[in-house]
Amino acid sequence: MQTALIRSGQFNIGHLCSRFQCDLGLGGKTALRWLGAHEERVDYTFSDLERHSSRFANVLQRLGFSPGEVFFIFLPKVPEVYFTFLGALKARLITGTLFSNFGEEALLDRLGDAGAKVVLTRHSYLKKLLRIRERLPSLRHIILVDANEHQSADILSYAQLMKNASDDYETPVTPPETPSVLHYTSGSTGKPKGALHCHRSVLLQSRTAAEVLSLQPHDLYWCTADHGWVTGTSYGIIGPWSLGITQVHFGGAYDAAKWLQILEQYRITIWYTAPTALRMLMREDPALFERVDLSRLRHIFSVGEPLNPEVISWARKALRHDIYDTWWQTETGAIMITNRPGLAIKPGSMGKPLAGVEAAVVADDGRVLPDNEQGNLCLKPGWDAMFISYFHHEDVYRQKFKHGWYWTGDTAYRDQDGYYWFQGRSDDVINTSGHLVSPFEVESALLEVPGIAESGVIGAPDELHWQKIVAFVALHKGYEWNSDLALKARLHISNRVSPMATPQEFYVLAHIPKTKSGKIMRRVLRARYLGTDAGDVSTLDI
Amino acid sequence: MTTIEKLTTIFRVVFDNDEINLRPEMTANDVDGWDSLSYVNLIIAVEKGFGIKFTQKEIMSFKNVGDLSRCIDSKFAER
Repeated sequence: MQTALIRSGQFNIGHLCSRFQCDLGLGGKTALRWLGAHEERVDYTFSDLERHSSRFANVLQRLGFSPGEVFFIFLPKVPEVYFTFLGALKARLITGTLFSNFGEEALLDRLGDAGAKVVLTRHSYLKKLLRIRERLPSLRHIILVDANEHQSADILSYAQLMKNASDDYETPVTPPETPSVLHYTSGSTGKPKGALHCHRSVLLQSRTAAEVLSLQPHDLYWCTADHGWVTGTSYGIIGPWSLGITQVHFGGAYDAAKWLQILEQYRITIWYTAPTALRMLMREDPALFERVDLSRLRHIFSVGEPLNPEVISWARKALRHDIYDTWWQTETGAIMITNRPGLAIKPGSMGKPLAGVEAAVVADDGRVLPDNEQGNLCLKPGWDAMFISYFHHEDVYRQKFKHGWYWTGDTAYRDQDGYYWFQGRSDDVINTSGHLVSPFEVESALLEVPGIAESGVIGAPDELHWQKIVAFVALHKGYEWNSDLALKARLHISNRVSPMATPQEFYVLAHIPKTKSGKIMRRVLRARYLGTDAGDVSTLDI
Repeated sequence: MTTIEKLTTIFRVVFDNDEINLRPEMTANDVDGWDSLSYVNLIIAVEKGFGIKFTQKEIMSFKNVGDLSRCIDSKFAER
């Protein structure tokens, strides 16, 4: 795969996903089958991808942007996401993607930290950006995909820019270590950090798309992940297109009947989705699945949260297929430990490491633990898609590597057959529907709600979302917790951070438990919520 | 104020977007940010705004703004 993909030292992801495919004779093949929210369908060939992405590379060059500067996409799924993602990479800009439901605080954290120079968005999201514009001194241009004309000197029309741009763009030979894709990910302390990848990542994204997802030239592949999530770029753009595979992307919201219709009508052969989506499907009327013909579907893969054994069992009956759970992270850039066709599934297990990936369960002191002992899940550094930095936070990046291992932050054990079993997080990061949410981010935003004096946030088990966000608050004197304040708090988090960060439950305490140094004792909150022992509370500030 | 007009006001607050103008046929595909995650906020805000409670079955049955509006109207008609 590697030898065939890389020629003359050209590692550029934008080039490999478009021009390279045309050079292989696939220019006329459908690359993107776009299904809009309102039943519209447009097919874009690899030649179309090449033309649109080259135009956008020229647009960025003409606007004066240089390699290494940061471009962000702040849009829901629309075709322009894919053209501009590849175009910006061709121009060797660092290309970041944002969930379209991010609120202004989440945007400010990410755009500000990255020093973003240009953002692609649309009118309805512009207000959020304009509210924080003055706090983004590096931001030079906002480009609107739905404006026919430039709005001002710095708010520009995508259509107008593209109309005047050339189709021809010769992508400079891009060495493998050139920075490429930037995804922000949450930690338990501080603001989100930007996991920065480099163009070399395409080697492993391409290989895993072939070896794990089992993509073959005739396949019709559907990855339901949003591009704001690393799955949406590694396996919703890069992996499959580097192999010349036709992808379906759907621009509508989750709708069980519609999803099944897409699987059947468009004859999807490989489907990559998430456990929350599968659990939502499990709640639907079983008759819905009896009517649908999924005979074209070869494999289903899942990523984001651990896949419960009951989902696998349900899928065998309702979808007449196994589901292969894949484990990896924003930082790993590609699948690391996985179930896959040809490997017997142990329901609930993460599967086994990919060939060439060395994983281990490690004690806090760096000792590799024997089978069946729980510890820190670690990976031997050096795989091709490994992140190269937390952008502008090299110190935090270095902290992820200890005793010769990359520490994933997950805990697990390996059984006697070599299968890994996820046990939880070693930190306080919350995994809700596959999205990592920082309790710190939510706690900080809650303090902006009038009346809330202190806050502490934890993740609690949830049947649908794997974990739900639970908030504990203490109020200022004179305030009373009521449905008005609860709604205000919910909407504040939803609009300032994002809907996925919104607490599902609130509890009012007289004080939030903290250490004598002022650190929130989330483990005490968790114990209180779950009714378990809080352990050592000697540092609790009473 | 009609039910749709009042819903429009609530939608604008929930989705932080003053440009929303609801029509009965509009679905989650027509309102930026309306997804399964924000739906809970929307339902709570609508219940509070109208002083009503939806059943779980009703919440699952709303396919568009018209369904929501009709359900609200029927609850007031029953009073």
